[in-house]
Formats: sequence, C-alpha cells, structure tokens
Amino acid sequence: MTKVIKNDRTEGQLTRRSFLQSAMWMSGAVATGLGSWVFPAKWSHAAGPIKVGIATDLTGPIAFGGIPCSRIAKLAIDQINDNGGILGRPLEMYLEDTASNEQIAVGVVRKLVQRNRVDVVLGGITSSMRNAIKDIIVGRGRTLYIYPQLYEGRECTPNLFCTGPTPAQQCDDLIPWLIANGGKRFALPSANYVWPHVLNEYARKSIEDNGGEVVLEEYYPLDQVEYGATVKKIMDEKVDVVFNTVIPPGLGPFIKQLYEGGFLKRGGRLSCVYYDENALNINSPQEMEGLASCLDYFQNIEDPFSAELQAAYQKRHAHKDKVLFSAGSGSTGMYRGVKLWEAAVTEAGAVDRDSVAAALDHAKIANGPGGPSNMVPGTYHCQMNMYIAVAKGGKYEIISKADQVHPKECG
Amino acid sequence: MTILNRVAGARPGTSGRLSRLLIIELVLLALFALMPLLLGSIWSEDDSFFWIVFTTKVLILSLFGLSFDLAWGYAGLMSFGQALFFGGAGYVVAVMSRDLGISSIFIVLPVAIVVGLVLAMLLAAFLLSGSRTPSIIFIAFGTLTGSYAAERLARAWYYLGGQNGVSVTKALTIGDMPLYEGVGFYYLAFGLLVVVYIGCRFLVRSQFGLVLAGIREREERITFLGYKVQLTRAIVFILSGAIAGLGGGLYAFHEGFVWPALMGPIYSTQAMLYVMLGGVSTLIGPVIGVTAIEFATIILIDYLRDFWIIILGVLLLLVIMFRRTGLVGVLVSERERIGSFRWRGANRKSDSRSD
Amino acid sequence: MEGAFQVLFNILSFTSIMVLVVLGLGVIASMMGIFNFAHGEFLLLGGYTAYLFDIWGLPVWLGIAAAPFVVGFVGVVLERTIIHRFYAAPIVAMLGTYAIGLIIRESVRGLISGMYLRVPEPLVGMFSVGDISVSKWRVAVIVITILVVTGSYILLNRTSFGLRVRASLENPELARASGISTSQIYAATFAFGAALAGLAGAMMVPLFSLYADMGLRFLIQGFLAVMLGGIGTFEGPVLGGGVIGAMTAGLPHMVNPILADVLVFVIAIVLVKMKPMGLLAKGRK
Repeated sequence: MTKVIKNDRTEGQLTRRSFLQSAMWMSGAVATGLGSWVFPAKWSHAAGPIKVGIATDLTGPIAFGGIPCSRIAKLAIDQINDNGGILGRPLEMYLEDTASNEQIAVGVVRKLVQRNRVDVVLGGITSSMRNAIKDIIVGRGRTLYIYPQLYEGRECTPNLFCTGPTPAQQCDDLIPWLIANGGKRFALPSANYVWPHVLNEYARKSIEDNGGEVVLEEYYPLDQVEYGATVKKIMDEKVDVVFNTVIPPGLGPFIKQLYEGGFLKRGGRLSCVYYDENALNINSPQEMEGLASCLDYFQNIEDPFSAELQAAYQKRHAHKDKVLFSAGSGSTGMYRGVKLWEAAVTEAGAVDRDSVAAALDHAKIANGPGGPSNMVPGTYHCQMNMYIAVAKGGKYEIISKADQVHPKECG
Repeated sequence: MTILNRVAGARPGTSGRLSRLLIIELVLLALFALMPLLLGSIWSEDDSFFWIVFTTKVLILSLFGLSFDLAWGYAGLMSFGQALFFGGAGYVVAVMSRDLGISSIFIVLPVAIVVGLVLAMLLAAFLLSGSRTPSIIFIAFGTLTGSYAAERLARAWYYLGGQNGVSVTKALTIGDMPLYEGVGFYYLAFGLLVVVYIGCRFLVRSQFGLVLAGIREREERITFLGYKVQLTRAIVFILSGAIAGLGGGLYAFHEGFVWPALMGPIYSTQAMLYVMLGGVSTLIGPVIGVTAIEFATIILIDYLRDFWIIILGVLLLLVIMFRRTGLVGVLVSERERIGSFRWRGANRKSDSRSD
Repeated sequence: MEGAFQVLFNILSFTSIMVLVVLGLGVIASMMGIFNFAHGEFLLLGGYTAYLFDIWGLPVWLGIAAAPFVVGFVGVVLERTIIHRFYAAPIVAMLGTYAIGLIIRESVRGLISGMYLRVPEPLVGMFSVGDISVSKWRVAVIVITILVVTGSYILLNRTSFGLRVRASLENPELARASGISTSQIYAATFAFGAALAGLAGAMMVPLFSLYADMGLRFLIQGFLAVMLGGIGTFEGPVLGGGVIGAMTAGLPHMVNPILADVLVFVIAIVLVKMKPMGLLAKGRK
C-alpha cells in the first residue's frame, strides 16, 4: 500500500505517546513492559482467552492509518466480547506500535509472536511494513496474519490473508468510467516504489483494453517535490486523465503544480485510488475538483450497517482529533479482517492456525463497511463492494457502486 | 609469561597480573557464552526465547560496531558509511536467497564477507588513491556520500524491492539442517563474533598494530620510516568492510528483512553512536556500546521512547566533548586502553623465561 | 519555448536555495576551519519556525522573515557554549556538530511526530506574461537570494565590520594583536552562517515539505558544493552551490529521475576528487 500522509495542523498532539496513553480508548489497556499493551479479557474460560495481536503504526507518519485501525479493531473485539466472545472464550487484544519504522516493527512483532504467543496478527499498513513483518509472523512464528490495507496485490503467501482492495477491485470499474468521463489519453505519474509499479501494470492493461492510451508513465523519488517537468509534459501531450500514484510528500506539491499549470482549467480529470476523506485535507478544494477515487467505503455511502459502524466509531472517539475511520487508512479492511477471522474460528471450532486458515479460506460476512464480503477460496483475498466517488467542493459525491467485485489475485 | 598475559599486552617481566581490559573482555565472554543457559533457568520458555533472539541481534550488531572501530579507532578513517557494507552484503544475500534459493551457510557467509570486502576495496581505492593524502573530511564525506547514494539507489531500484525492501523467508541452512532463530543461531553469531574479535585483537596488538598506532599518532614520521601509510589504512578499512559484510549477511537471515535504510547514513552513524559511547579504539568498546544501548532502548521504551534518541545524542555530545574514551574509558586506564604491543625481542626471549 | 522558461525558473529557484545553504556552510568552513555537520538542521529549524508561525495564526512571510534571526540566535548560543571548543580540532568539530545535529533533528522529529507538513506560500499565484507563467513565490525566492548574496558581499567587502572579518580570516593572531576580538567575530560568523541556512529552510518549505530528515539531504549536497567550489573565497561556495543546485534540479529533465538523483552525487564526488581544492580555490589567501 501507499503512504498517504494526512496534513493536519493538530497532528502533533494526537500522535504523541502520552496522549495515546491517556486517551479514553486506551483506558483498560495494561502495559506489560517493553512497550507492549494488552486489553485483558473480561471473563475467564477454562481454555484461556483467545489472543489477538494488533501490530500497527500508532506513531510516525503512518499514524493517521494506524490509530483508526487499532481503534476499529478494539471496537470490533469489544462487540464480539459483548456477544459472548468466540467459542465462549473472551478475546484479549495485544497492541504493539510499529512506529512507521520497519526496524522497530521487527522487534515488536517478535514480542507478539514469541513472547505473547498470540493466535492471530492483524496489521501492517504500508507494503514495506507488511514485507518486514510477514516472515516473522507467518514463517518463523507459524501464526496467521491478516493484512488490512489496499495494496498492489500479488501477495500469495499461505496463511497471509488480505482484506483490503486490490488493483483489480480499484481499476475494473474506475478505468472505463474515467475514459467515459475524462478522455482517452492517460498519464501515470508515480512514486517510485512497488505499489505504483504493480498497480500501473494493471491499470495500463485496463486502459488499453478499454480503448485508452498511456502517453506518459514516470517514476519519481519519494521526496521529490519539483514537478515542473512533469506538468509541462502533461500539458504538452494533451493528457486527459492523470491517474496519479505520487504519494506525500510529493503529492501536495504535485497536485498544486498541476493546477497551476492549468490542467483542470483545460478540462483535465484527476484520479487517485488511495484518496479518501483524510486526503481531502492535503490540497485546497479547487486544486482537487473532480478527482475520482475508487474505494471500498466512503463515509456518505448508503448502507445502514456502515452508517451504524461509523456512528459507533464516532461515539467512542468523538471526532476530536480528525483521525478518521476511512478506507485509505486500512481501518475498513481491519474491521473486515477481524469479522472474517471470527467467522472462521467459529466454523473451525478451534484456534490453531491450520484449522482457522482452512476455514478463513472461504469465510463470509454479511455485514461490513461498504457491504458484505466473501473470501475467494484458494486466493487469500476477498470480494467487496467498490464505490466510485468524485471530489466536489472539498467533499465526495458517490457516483456508482459495484457489488462484490472480484479481487483477481493468486488465481 | 602465560599466553593470556602476552595477549593482554603485559610487559615481559611483570608479575603476570591480568589487565583490567582483559578482565572486562573475559567477563563479557563468559556472560554471553552462558546466557542462554542462565535464561532458561530463570524465565519462562517464551520469555527466555525472546531474550535469546534479542541478544543474538546484539551480537550481530556488535560485528557492525567492531567494523566501525577498526576503521575509525585503528585506521583513523572517519567512515560514515559502514552501513554501506553491512546493508550491501545483507541485500546481496537476501536477493540471492529470493531469486536463487541459496541459503546454505557455506555460501551465504563467504559471499557476505566478500561483498563487504569488495565494496570497501572500491571505496578505499577511490578515496585513498592519488598522490595527495586525502583529508579526513574528504573521507568522511566520501563515505557519507557513498552510503547516501546507495540508500537512494536501493529505494529507487524496483528489482531490489524499492522502498519495500527484500524479505528473507528462508532459514540459514547448515547442510540439510535449517538454523532458525534461537539458541542455534545465538551460538553461531557468538562463535563468529569471538573468532573475529580474537583475530582483530591479535592484529592490533601485533607489529602491524604498532604501525597503525604510529599512523594515528604521527603520520608523517611513519611515512618517513618507509611505511606505506595509505596502503596500511586501506587494508584495515577493507578488513572492516569484510567484517561489516559478515554482520550484514547474518542480520539478513536472522531478522528476515533488509531495506534501504540499512545501507544509509543514519544507520552508519548508529555505528558511530555505539562505538563512541562504548569506547573507541578498544574493540571491546563497540560490544559494550551495542549491548548497553540496545538493552537500554528496549527496557526504557515504555517511558522514554520519544526522548531516548535525544538522550543518546546528548550523551554522544558529552562523550565527544569531555570523555572521548567512552564507557571503557571510565573503567580502564589510558595506558591499558591503548595497550602495548608484542615486542620483536619478546617472541624469542620469552621461551627461556619461566612463568 | 514557454515551457523552457518555466523549467529554467524552477531550476533557478532551487539553485537559489542551494546557494544560500552553501554560502552559510562555506563561510563557517572558511573562517573557523570547521565543517558544521549540523547545518542541515539549521535549515530544518528555519522551516520549522515558518511552520510554527503559520500554526499560531501569524502570517507566513513574518515567519520566514523571523527564521534567520531565530536560527542565528540558536547559532550564537551553540557557538558560545559548545562549538568554540572545537576550533582547534576539526575532526572533533565534525563529530560534535554531528551530535548537535542529531539532537536537533530528533527533537524536531518528536515535535512534529514524524509527519510531513506543509506551509502555505506567502505569495500565492502566478505571474503571467503572455503564455509564460511562473509561480510568484519562486520569483520571490530568487529575488531574495540575489539581495542577500549581494548584501553579504557588500558587507564583507565594503564595511569596516567586513574588514575585521576578513582580517580574522587571513591572520587571526595579527587580528587579535590589532585589537579585533576574534571570538566575537567567530560567533558572528557562525550566527551568520546559521541565519543563512535558517532563511533558506524557511523559504524552501512552501515549495517542499517540512519533514525531520530534510536537513540530511541538503547537508550532503551542501558539503559537496562547498568542496566543489573551494573554501576561502566568497565566490567559491556560490559557484559550488550553483553547480550542484542546477544539476539536482536540471538533470531529471534530461535523464530518468531516479538515475539523476544518484548521478548528481557521483559527478560531484568525482569532480571533488579531481580537484580537491575546489574549482575556484586559491587556498587561504
């Protein structure tokens, strides 16, 4: 996945460790030393509690994603516990902060897997984080791992299940819509790392299959903020649609320079598949007018369960710190992951990795953010509803909905 | 004189008392050798496993610190780029494991050493060549630039996984037997560290080490005496690269993941932090520095995570300003720290001495 | 044609920032003979000052104007308390300033929680002449840099203060014997170098993002530029900064951006190796 960075002026406060510890949702968390926390089980059972490990970025640039992920996980676990747990056993949540730093992450995930011996690990947001911790969990740790964030696909490791959107889910409906509502000439300005490379391969094929043409595909270092050359090429080549995978810190300046270059004025269409409600704060509304995004969830979709979930989240977290429950943060995939896992454990009747993995392979949930979700057997990925939304005046307008889009991975 | 005393640098004719430095070394040796056994008896299996794995990482990082000490403390080359060798070797073995499936220890470790060695050789050739002696600043810059450029390249190059790095999912194998994290890997790392350490110890207390000390003190005089200063330094630098490479190879398989920052300047200067705090120019200083910092970090992480690195920075500044000999300097006298060297005469005459 | 003009402006504005950074580094290196490894962090502090002013609701241009003074002040404090001890030993200076840079960098990282932050431009919009439009703020950066560099040149070569500075540079003992307080001059020089970096950082953050590691990149490029241009002259760092800045901003237009990134360093270090005293150096005159 990407590194979407939110630009919020009050951010400094919310990610400071002390704030975390005093935050209401952390009350009930017990420090177990070495920087670890656990939310202890509320009742006891002969077989002991089921241990759920959450390893996510609570501090650092990816905290805007890690914090809602951990909160929604806690919400989901509390809901499960309120309904009697799984198999009569209570769930205990072990929380570790991977701090947006792969080196630290390796150490803390080791704690979860070796010291706490959790039964499942959910977490990781960026692909580099997933890559850093997956072997410790799945290989050396022989534990199940669920990865909740939208990403580039091609992760077909056994016992590693992905509950976030794949390129196919994000592009299959979006690209035809872009061609119909933007034009045929595409530019793919991208950050230079794995997610854009792989996504662009899929996007290019989809664009060409739908009669479009890619006139520009370029990769930039992550901290590049000078896009004069790119904007010039986009204007010269009469590009209709800019399918952007530049991420912060370059994102804000790029969108701004593109706007200043006159792209939108000329009728160009912007598109960015990781844009969610958080990203709306990065540029001014006129710079992003008409930007099209395709995600598994937006806050204003019409789905009663999603609305309830959003309300429950907001009730707990009072929307003070603007760290939103949104699709770009991975929190929608996190909720989906917890519930699918719950379904799998219930079906398997056991908590050991192999039984649960076998059940998770075909698990289904009827209610999730954005709609129901079904695992596609043998592929480690799941179907979900996908929505196309366009930014208008700084807010999203939902354009279309596609039901149960197939992830097309590992098949 | 007993062998121990000779290694310790005690002068011929003294009563054979072990120097403090040697005592520190032996104590640490015993501690690390026995740690897995001790842990098992104190703590639960899960906890002790965790600490064994943690200490293995400390041992591997000690190789990294040792390499910096060789380059700076002994060859006088301020190398801001040791991570280039460490991370570079790590990347090579990780990619080999990913693409070619190679995980045998008999290939991985030699390759790691060679990668570190070759990279150091290339850098040394570039920096130290030429008729004019390069200034320390130029060397510091050259190594810093090398490290920075390598990190940028690794971030950018898709084949190397770009910013995502490379996951190492295979375990190191000895023949058919896989070596996972735990007691086995611990003793592998420990054994390698001891061998490398003793090798370095002999080197720096030998005649060669005497030349190095001379270069550190009075470079011009040593040149007039006919020694090839640049070549000598280059040799030590290349050796340090090889050791860093070995560490990198072990790290890749133990941690299971390599990523661009592992080759970059921030990680390089981490080595400097370990060594300066532990005690530069002592060989045991890096080991002490790594151990102290890593253990302190993980224990204090509950209270101080945000501040800890700042505190380390302040400690580093204090060390630089006031006590450049670090922790070891606190415990051991200056003379012992530098040690003495084997005299040409002593090698022949000592045979006839009774100890 | 219009596009070329725009590209030129972008290169010029980046180069201007580079020149300010390098001038500060060069002045410190020439005068006190030490390489300030914390220089990148002075840039960071300048940018952070601009950011703070913005959060506190004050105008950004005020923050940018204040940045050189704030960072210059920090420079004086550091120089008087710690750095002056290092003058005798350049290597220790290198390590010591590195440690100071580490402390500053990690402190800022903690304060901004490791985020990438944006500061709005003080001058929003574009100047348009016919088909050509250039960002107003970029033009301002270029203009401010020219003014500052010219002002510094005049200060150094046409004022009595400048005379004292040049005297301390050429022959410190004689200068002291003539009644010039070299320690004050050193403090002023360090503060000046720091202030330049602070200004550069503050002017830069509306164009780029503010993040804790931004100093490191400029440190490395800055040093290469100083070594390229040579120590001991005023023109040297300016030339060096110009070359490095132009290469960094210009190469991506000609070559794959990723390759361009690494190429800048490689070319620079090879040039320095070939001419260790710098392109323009006449040594310490």
